[in-house]
Amino acid sequence: MIVKFINAVGRASMKACDDLGNITLFLYETLITMFTTKPKWRKIFKQINFIGVNSFSVVLLTGSTVGAVLAYHSYTGLHRFGADQWIGSIIFIAMAREFGPVLSSIMVTGRAGSAMTAEIGTMRITEQIDALQTLCIDVKQYLIVPRIIASTIILPFLSIFCSFFGIVAGYVISVIVLDVNSEVYLEAMKAHAVLGDLIHGIIKAIIFGFLLSLIGCYKGYITRGGAKGVGLATTQSVVYANVATFIADYILTSLMS
Amino acid sequence: MIELKNLVKAFGTRTITKSLNLKVPSGTFMAIIGRSGEGKSVLLKQIIGLIKPDSGNVIIDNEDITTMTKKQREKIFKKCGYVFQFAALLDSLNVLNNIGITLYEQGKKEKEIKPLVLEKIKSVGLRDDTLEKFPDELSGGMKKRVGLARTLMLSPEILIYDEPTTGLDPIAVKLIHELIKKTHKQLNATTIVISHDIAVFDYADTVAMLHEGKIAYTGPTKDIWECDNPYVHQFIRGLSEGPIK
Repeated sequence: MIVKFINAVGRASMKACDDLGNITLFLYETLITMFTTKPKWRKIFKQINFIGVNSFSVVLLTGSTVGAVLAYHSYTGLHRFGADQWIGSIIFIAMAREFGPVLSSIMVTGRAGSAMTAEIGTMRITEQIDALQTLCIDVKQYLIVPRIIASTIILPFLSIFCSFFGIVAGYVISVIVLDVNSEVYLEAMKAHAVLGDLIHGIIKAIIFGFLLSLIGCYKGYITRGGAKGVGLATTQSVVYANVATFIADYILTSLMS
Repeated sequence: MIELKNLVKAFGTRTITKSLNLKVPSGTFMAIIGRSGEGKSVLLKQIIGLIKPDSGNVIIDNEDITTMTKKQREKIFKKCGYVFQFAALLDSLNVLNNIGITLYEQGKKEKEIKPLVLEKIKSVGLRDDTLEKFPDELSGGMKKRVGLARTLMLSPEILIYDEPTTGLDPIAVKLIHELIKKTHKQLNATTIVISHDIAVFDYADTVAMLHEGKIAYTGPTKDIWECDNPYVHQFIRGLSEGPIK
């Protein structure tokens, strides 16, 4: 029983080390390709369109909803102390520093990160990636680098939009539904909102964009085992990318606070 | 010349190639036969560097690719063309983009690429209107021809086909075999074909049989029906009784 347990822990540890080593190697090769080859701008813009423009509506919806919910919760708490006027600044800081980048990352992971894994994974199992290699085409330059650059570029913009719509929704709910004075709301927000909050969110979004695309591409690139393998890789990619987002979020928040 | 020396490859506990030796002289056409699951595709993928052997040497034109860096290997691989079993066309690209992909990636313009692609597509017996089609609109035989046309864009000196006639009707099989032979003669390319189809003996110069991770037989195809090797005898006649279990 104990031996079996130790074996299982050992196997899991070995696999974790193996995975970490492989993704580090994948990252290293991708970065080398990224900085030593000419960027394929057409492919990058195509990916920006796919990852960013097509995710806009879902990010808008999520940002607005969370901004509205945040207004209700903030009001409930702050009203007890007669501090309703701080709702604006709380919503601004929460959306710009935290919810904007995190929600955008989660939404893009679910919509585009999973699609990256599924597409690259299908290409792997149908030998399309092997075919590219036999044609002397750099697979990293052709498939991976454009996705990572596009995701890293576009996520900060999505984060800003998400924050903006969250703040607008928070304002609408606070002023129209919860009857908070509009001028007081805006004055408090102006007084406490600083550019640093936005920059904080943008830095997070850049790193989340990089991480989610790296994991999405990596899981697709190493896919094995037919349709079932693609399904499994896609699920793992979404889970790992979201977990990586939350861990990175904690680390970045603690470093930047 | 392609030379494989003591090639060993294992996946986990299963050894696929066991100290395998094989020579394919330049400009010859060799058919490799063997049962399903014997590791024929793994063998070919080791030749073109898609799979790294655990030990042994793959020597192409006197250069050992197993000791080369990735950059050095690329020069060798530019000489090699590989036609995949199911063509492996990029399903997000149309036929024009699939065939011309290497030129597009080199930054060439479509007006330069299209005439070259048209020339290749005609050489594999397809019509011009195929260019705008996507892989899912093509039949199995057409896909294989497009796959071959894509490979020919690199003007390879070595052509490797992985089961090119699998899943095709007898007419398509004959057409593909004739196309392989024609291409072999035109380019004077060293050609290796993996096949289960004994019709390939009408086109190949030599035949090698893979059995239990080793080459069990090599010899000229003209003598294959008189061959007394028990593995070959059983395999080409499709006998259930014999040394192959």
